[in-house]
Amino acid sequence: MKYFDYLRLALKNLSRQKSRTVLTIIAITVGSLSLILMTSLVIGIRQSLIDQFKNLGAFNLVTVIKDPNSVDSNNLMGTGGDTSEGKMINDTTLTEVEKINHVAAATPIISVNIGTVRLAGQDKKTWPNVVAFDPRSDVFTVPIIAGRNLTTSDMDKVVVGSRFLDDFGYGGKANDLIGKKVILNSKMGGGGSGVDWGPPPEKPPANADDSWYKAQGNKGVDIEAEIVGVADNGTVGDGSSYINIAWARRLNTQVSWQQDKNQPKTGDQNSYYQPTMTLVKNDNFLDQGYSSIILKVDDTANLQSVASAVSKLGYGAMTAQSMIDQINKILTMVGVVLGVIAGISLFVAAIGIINTMIMATYERTKEIGVMRACGATKSNIRRLFTFEAALLGFWGGVFGLLISFILGLLAKTLVQKYGASLGNLPINNIGNFPWWLIVGVIAFTTFVGMISGLYPAIRAAKLNPVDALRYE
Amino acid sequence: MIELKSVSKSYQMGDDTIHALDGVDLVVKDGDFLAITGPSGSGKSTLANIIGGLDEPDGGKVLVNEQDISKLDDKTLSNYRNHEIGFVFQTFNLQPTYTALENVMIPLIFAGISSAERKKRAAECLKAVGLADRMAHLPSQLSGGQRQRVCIARALANNPKVIIADEPTGNLDSKKGEEIVGILKELNRQGKITIIVITHDPSVARQAHRVINIKDGRIS
Repeated sequence: MKYFDYLRLALKNLSRQKSRTVLTIIAITVGSLSLILMTSLVIGIRQSLIDQFKNLGAFNLVTVIKDPNSVDSNNLMGTGGDTSEGKMINDTTLTEVEKINHVAAATPIISVNIGTVRLAGQDKKTWPNVVAFDPRSDVFTVPIIAGRNLTTSDMDKVVVGSRFLDDFGYGGKANDLIGKKVILNSKMGGGGSGVDWGPPPEKPPANADDSWYKAQGNKGVDIEAEIVGVADNGTVGDGSSYINIAWARRLNTQVSWQQDKNQPKTGDQNSYYQPTMTLVKNDNFLDQGYSSIILKVDDTANLQSVASAVSKLGYGAMTAQSMIDQINKILTMVGVVLGVIAGISLFVAAIGIINTMIMATYERTKEIGVMRACGATKSNIRRLFTFEAALLGFWGGVFGLLISFILGLLAKTLVQKYGASLGNLPINNIGNFPWWLIVGVIAFTTFVGMISGLYPAIRAAKLNPVDALRYE
Repeated sequence: MIELKSVSKSYQMGDDTIHALDGVDLVVKDGDFLAITGPSGSGKSTLANIIGGLDEPDGGKVLVNEQDISKLDDKTLSNYRNHEIGFVFQTFNLQPTYTALENVMIPLIFAGISSAERKKRAAECLKAVGLADRMAHLPSQLSGGQRQRVCIARALANNPKVIIADEPTGNLDSKKGEEIVGILKELNRQGKITIIVITHDPSVARQAHRVINIKDGRIS
C-alpha cells in the first residue's frame, strides 16, 4: 500500500466524524499554542536581551576588574564588583592592557560616590549608579535616545539612564529632560569635607564640637549637573547614568578642612592659640584606582584570548559571554517551567487523541474486518490508524501556529500603538517564529499524535478478522 | 486446487468447547462451483473462512496449489486473500461513506495499484455486474440487490481465482437472489472462477456443480 493512499484514506476517515475530529484538533491546537507562545516568549526575552548587549557593543568587550576570583559580577561595567580586593587598576594597568594583542581600544571606568539624585526643583530622590568613562575612547557607544553623548570637555554634564524618565515624571518625554539640571548628592560630604568641585566645604568654626560634626556629617554635598542626554538602559542595563571620567576624578577627590600639623592641638588646655585650618585634597583615586577598565577587542573570536591575557596580568576578566551564559541558564530554567505547563496541555490533548482513536476502532471494527478480508495486513491497519492520529496532531500544530501568528500580528500592532508604555516586554517577538520552531512544533505535535494513536492502532491491527466481521 | 486435510477448528464458548470443524477433508478443483449447506452453527462459515485465509485451523492442512496456507505469516496470508480470494458477504459490508466505485477500489489499494489504474479496474468490475450507471452512488442510494452486486464487484477487483460467498442471497428477495446467483454462475462459467457458496437456500444450492452438507463440523 502506498503512503499517499494512507494519507488519502486517513483524511477521508477523519472527515467522517467531523465534529469529533474538530474537537480533538482544537485540544491539540490549544496544546501547541501554549507550547509556541511559551517558547517564543523565552526566545523573545533572550533575543531582546542579546540585542541590547549588541547595541552596547558588549559582545566585543572584555572588562578588566581588580579581583581575579570575582568572575560572577552581574555588571558589565565592573562597577558592581568588589572594589576593595584584588590588584589595583590604575594608569599603569591601562598602559599594560592596551598593549595586549587584539585590544582595539580601552577606557577606564570609575564608579562615582553619588548617594542620591534629584531633579533641580524637585524633592523626589532616587539612587543612581553613576558610571564614568573616557569619551575619547572608542570602546562602547552609550545608546542615546535623546540629546547627545558625552564629550571630553563635559565637566558638569550627565547622560542620565532612561529609568529616570519615570522617576522624574518624564515618561515618554525624554527630549524634554535635556538641558534640565540634576542635583547629585555625594557621599563624601561631611563635617568640613566636600568634593573637589564647586565651592569649598564649610569651614568648621573654632568652637566646633562633636555635635557640629555629627550634624554636618549627614548633609552630603550637592553637585549640580546638566542633563545632556538620555541613555537607553534597556532591560540588561543597570540603570546607569554616565559622566566624563575627568569630572569623576574631581568628584572622587575629597577636600577637607584639616588642622595645620605644626600647630598645637585644640585639645591643649594650656594654650589660647587658635588653630589654623587648611583645605587638604585627598584623591581617592590614588588609594582605590579605577573601578575597572573596559577593553574593546577587534574581533569577537579573540575575546577569550584577550580575557586570558588579562588574567595572566593578575586581574579579573569578564566578558559578555559569561553574562549570556547566565541569561541562558536562567532562561533555560524558565523555559523548562513553561515547557512543563505547555506539556501538560499537550498531554491532555494526547489523551483526547487516544480517546478519539479508540472510539474510531470500536466504530470501525466491521470495516477493519472487511479491509482484512480484502487483503489488508496487520501493519496496513496499524499504519492507517497511526496516520489518522498523526494527522490530528499535524493539524493541531498547524492551527496552533496560525493562531500564534495572528496573535503575533496583534501584539505587533499593540507594540506600535502603545510601545512606550509596554516597556521592554518582548511581546513583539511572539509572531517571530524561527524556521526551527515552525518545523519543530508541527513535527512535535505530529509525533505526539502518532504516539497517542499507537495503542488504538495496535489494538485495531490485532483484531481477529472473523470476529471483526461478526461485530455488530 | 484447494485441498483440506483433516482440518479441525474449535471455539471456547464460556466453559464449553464448540467443535466447529472436526477432521474435515475436502477437495475443491479449479473452476468448481461448490455449495456448502448445513444448519446454523454447523461450521459452514468456519470452513469458508479457513479456505479464505481469514481464520486458522487448529489442526490439519489447507493446501492451496499444494502450499499449506495455515502456516503462512500475516503478510503472505493477506497477500493470498488480496490476490487469490474474493469475499461476498450476506450483509454486503460496504463502506457507507464510500461510493460504489470507491468501495470496489478497496482491495486494489491494498494491492498497491496506482490511483488511475484502480479507477479503471473498479469501473470495469462494476460494469461487469451491471452497475455502470451507479458508480458514484453511495450504498444508501442503492437497492439490496445493487449493493450485493457492488460487493461482488469488490470481490472481483483483483481478478481472484476463488470467490467465497457467505449467504449471498440471505438478505435479498428471491428475484434479486436469482440475479446474484446468475452473476456468480456467469463468473464461474465465463471467467473460470471457482465459486464456493454457503447457503441455506436449496434453490441456490441446486445451481452449484456440487453440494456438500455439513453437520456438527463434519461433511455428511
